[in-house]
Amino acid sequence: MEEFTVPIGPQHPALKEPISLRMTFDGEVVKHVDVRLGYNHRGMEKMAEERSYIQNLYLTERICGICSHSHTTCFAQGVEKLMEIEPPKRGLYIRTLVAEIERVHSHLLWLGVAGHEAGFDTFFMYTWRDREIVMDILESISGNRVHYAINTFGGVRRDISETQKQTILDSLSLLKQRTDYYANIGTTEPTFVARIKGVGKLSKELALSLCAVGPTVRASGIKSDVRKDDPYAVYNELPFEVCTADTGDVLGRVVVRVNELFECYKMIEFMLKNLPAGDIAVKAPRRVKENEVVSRYEAPRGENLHYIKSNGTDKPERLKVRAPTLANYPATVEMLKGCFIADIPLIFAAIDPCICCAERMVELVNDKNGEANIVSFSDLKKLASEQYKKCGNKPEPVSIAKQLEKIRRKS
Amino acid sequence: MKIQILAFLPELLKHLFRKTATVDYPFQKLVAPEGFRGTPVLYPEKCIVCKACVRDCPAEAIEIVPVSETEKKFKMTIHNDRCVHCAQCVDSCPTDAMGMNKEFELAAFDRHNLKIDYVYVKSTPVPRTPIATNTPKTEN
Ligand code: SF4
Ligand code: SF4
Repeated sequence: MEEFTVPIGPQHPALKEPISLRMTFDGEVVKHVDVRLGYNHRGMEKMAEERSYIQNLYLTERICGICSHSHTTCFAQGVEKLMEIEPPKRGLYIRTLVAEIERVHSHLLWLGVAGHEAGFDTFFMYTWRDREIVMDILESISGNRVHYAINTFGGVRRDISETQKQTILDSLSLLKQRTDYYANIGTTEPTFVARIKGVGKLSKELALSLCAVGPTVRASGIKSDVRKDDPYAVYNELPFEVCTADTGDVLGRVVVRVNELFECYKMIEFMLKNLPAGDIAVKAPRRVKENEVVSRYEAPRGENLHYIKSNGTDKPERLKVRAPTLANYPATVEMLKGCFIADIPLIFAAIDPCICCAERMVELVNDKNGEANIVSFSDLKKLASEQYKKCGNKPEPVSIAKQLEKIRRKS
Repeated sequence: MKIQILAFLPELLKHLFRKTATVDYPFQKLVAPEGFRGTPVLYPEKCIVCKACVRDCPAEAIEIVPVSETEKKFKMTIHNDRCVHCAQCVDSCPTDAMGMNKEFELAAFDRHNLKIDYVYVKSTPVPRTPIATNTPKTEN
């Protein structure tokens, strides 16, 4: 039978976010997958260069709506290292507390999405209803449901009161009970299990060689978690295990995330009961002396990475963001190969993709033949000067005064 | 892993007799919690026009322009259409002249309707002259 190529996206009813996939099929079976990035590029890194550190804190928060705290924490951690300040213990505890509550909300959201993609919409309704409990906790702590804005350089912006502590602990018992139920359903409901078992296989070797991150790699039996491997904030004091599964399919990813939920509850309870007294933040300078740093953070979806370069001013020279979804793309391509068309949304959803987080690169598309290629900065520069030369201008920057003179002479 | 047939059924039946999880918005509204970050507001009597809020606002949503130099009159415009409700202005203000209210229903047909103007006389932290010319005046 002849193979044929189908473009899926960037705008497609099956996709929640715009991404362009070109898939080659042989009948019902996926043969080849080509992921094309760049449709949702927002220019955030460039924007960050023009804003002060404190403004960037809120900009990085908006890289993602679901792991908003992950990005600010990753950025704040890096900048704090550049500023050479150390947040007080209580500040770090509150920061980590919000991080773990965020993980709970993200995993519950994902469970619902997985249920929805598998055609189990009741499951989706239930998990999302219970996720509201978490959203209410976050709102009461930080003043907002989605963008908590709890971080600041040198600590956090808001303290937690005794009454808030008690409310969170109370809600936690309800959440635990519900998660127990989901763990039971997610692994025993025959129709659901039949739908997700053996779908989107990723072997241990492949997961390792393709550098997958987060629950995707952990579901293939690899204990990889930044919280354990390179502990930041207060993770070296917290009781938790890295959850893994060895099936390497969508079922494994459900199991990993549900087990992680229990670990989160354990950590949240520990943090609330052992919240140290003291200040929540130290004063941070505005200017940051010249240096560079790489900050790692385990977001709900996997390892998040920020590279920040400072130049002595109050604005960063460069900010580079590597969101977990980008790291999971190569593995997703492998998972999709050999699957059925109907499994595509499910497999894709299983990495918990966040397209707009991941899109940040230069891709040039030839307008004549549609060919796309990724260009390095130096090549781009060369290309720009060539283009300039063709237009009859000199590649070196010309001052406005000189240009004006030129125009005047012509007229 | 044991597979249960009809594992979901008891829960489904239980839900038949539960009250709905959602509220009947807009007829019924949830109450915003304490410390909710709604819309930024200015308390003009406290503002010393240091522009720390303008400098730190990530959305460039605050604008201060002089109205009259001699009377030390200024106009602050809060562009609520741009505001991301981060409350950094509240944190940056040295005199607590900025605050957040609980207003969250901010839909408008024209984004310019979301602007809030305050015309006021600059307050001085330590008044140099005993003549009280700097009585706060608000015009919305
Ligand atoms: S809340 Fe944030 S975005 Fe809104 S005006 Fe204040 S600083 Fe600007
Ligand atoms: S509101 Fe506060 S920060 Fe803004 S100009 Fe007035 S005193 Fe300064």
